[in-house]
Amino acid sequence: MICTGCSCLCDDIEFENGKILNACEKGFRHISGYKERRAKNIVNGKEVDVDTAIDKALEILKSTKKAVIYGLDTSTVEAQRIAIKISEKLNCYIDDNSSFCLGEFVEAILKKEVPTSTLEEVRDKAYVILYWGTNPYHSLPRHMSKFTYYPRGSKRNRGYDEDRFLVVIDVRKSEVAKLAKKNARFIKVENDIELIESFLKAIEGKASKYDVAGILREMKRADFNVIFGGLGLKYGLKGNYSYLYNLIKKINEFTPLFFIPAGFHSNMRGFNETLFEEVRAINKFSFLEKKSSPSFAFSELVKNENVDVAMIVGTDPLSSLPYEVSRKLLDMKKIVIDPRETITAKIAEVSICSAFSGIETEGEMVRSDGIRVKLSPIDKSEIDDVYIFKKILEGL
Amino acid sequence: MPLTPMEIYKLLPKTNCKRCGEQTCMSFAFKLLNRDKKIDDCKPLFEEKKYEVQLKKLQELLKPLEKATETGLIVNSERCNGCGNCVVVCPVHVERDPRGAGIGKGPLIRDPIYRIENGKLVVLNVHACRRYGKNRILCIVCRENCPTDAISFLEG
Repeated sequence: MICTGCSCLCDDIEFENGKILNACEKGFRHISGYKERRAKNIVNGKEVDVDTAIDKALEILKSTKKAVIYGLDTSTVEAQRIAIKISEKLNCYIDDNSSFCLGEFVEAILKKEVPTSTLEEVRDKAYVILYWGTNPYHSLPRHMSKFTYYPRGSKRNRGYDEDRFLVVIDVRKSEVAKLAKKNARFIKVENDIELIESFLKAIEGKASKYDVAGILREMKRADFNVIFGGLGLKYGLKGNYSYLYNLIKKINEFTPLFFIPAGFHSNMRGFNETLFEEVRAINKFSFLEKKSSPSFAFSELVKNENVDVAMIVGTDPLSSLPYEVSRKLLDMKKIVIDPRETITAKIAEVSICSAFSGIETEGEMVRSDGIRVKLSPIDKSEIDDVYIFKKILEGL
Repeated sequence: MPLTPMEIYKLLPKTNCKRCGEQTCMSFAFKLLNRDKKIDDCKPLFEEKKYEVQLKKLQELLKPLEKATETGLIVNSERCNGCGNCVVVCPVHVERDPRGAGIGKGPLIRDPIYRIENGKLVVLNVHACRRYGKNRILCIVCRENCPTDAISFLEG
């Protein structure tokens, strides 16, 4: 089956004598625990059947003109498409976690501002593998062993210590940084923009704050190098993404360098791509104003009290967003659609139990490098995101 | 902490009494670590009261030996997150399973040395390990590439 625990979407998960094979601990807990702590269909504190809950949700959605649909990062592409149609019909806002996650990087890739590649190509060809501001040990446990540094590729078949060069850039010595031993570099970074400047100076042959000339030399030796950018890089750039894209462009003048974002929800890129197909924006979109803007991000909308109804799908903003945002959630009506019981669902007016994508429902998801993966569920559930969204769309 | 013959020797009687069949206490320490001998073979340790404290310390020191496999491997499951680095880097896997573990997938062969089961590393077939048997190589590739030091060997 395909594991939907993270955006690696590992395709080699097997079952034998009641054991789950090959999945990392994150994936194992995701797959094995799908029956535990399930959400209930609740309207104003009372347990009801699913159709009553959907009717109540419809009633709330119809009663407002300022709604936001938020989340959807663990739903399938099919469900996301219907959710986008719902927001179009409601003329409301739609956003997902990518507004504070790696949305900007995905946007640059979709707009073809940076060259990108697939993880299979990385496995087969990559020489310099650069993890910048990400610790896949926690976010994507099998990233290094399945796709990047460790596997032997068709053109890199002599193993990691001869045929790969690992560079880890982080603010601390993370678990992955500990693996940067032979034929590898760890750069403890204080300021990402200064590091980019160091790279640019090193290209011109000048001395720089960070010693990166060696990395550039290694890059020149190969015909395929890759940067995996994470949240540390995004927030380190402080909004100046063009610095990074400019650097990648400069390096590409003398050696091929690709960029792949690393570390997010299982189908976050799927949401970005689906919305991009429809409206040419990846998140933070208002169907009323027909544009995307930073002020339409879910956290901004809630903080500035621009919305009074939130339909939250497959995410838990009360526990993941800062207090100044999450406390304002109390003042608005919330419809939570989630397979798992969440803290947000406990304070929501309507809570609807959905199904786990990839475990109970089939469909399609998009891996972090843009490859579309068909899911292969092990269980079947009638009531999933697609069913709920279709009902809502019909009701509207 | 690595377990060395010297650490063991320090806690033995150091009298070279030869009752265990070895010429010296140092060689007994080596055999103890390789599990060719057992601590019970050292008679004076049990018979003489003055060694009581030493015996207790030695038993405490040798506790990891019970958990270790025949290759001296100890897996700390609590630290393991199932990243699978060890499965993929293992040179034996690469040689025997080039289309499976060799290219990063789960092992396709029937008797891999390592496999990730229920999110944790499980040692299945220690006999295939390069550290096993008489002509062993002290290979430490899996330990070197474990990000959390969940894999350790007796020799450190």
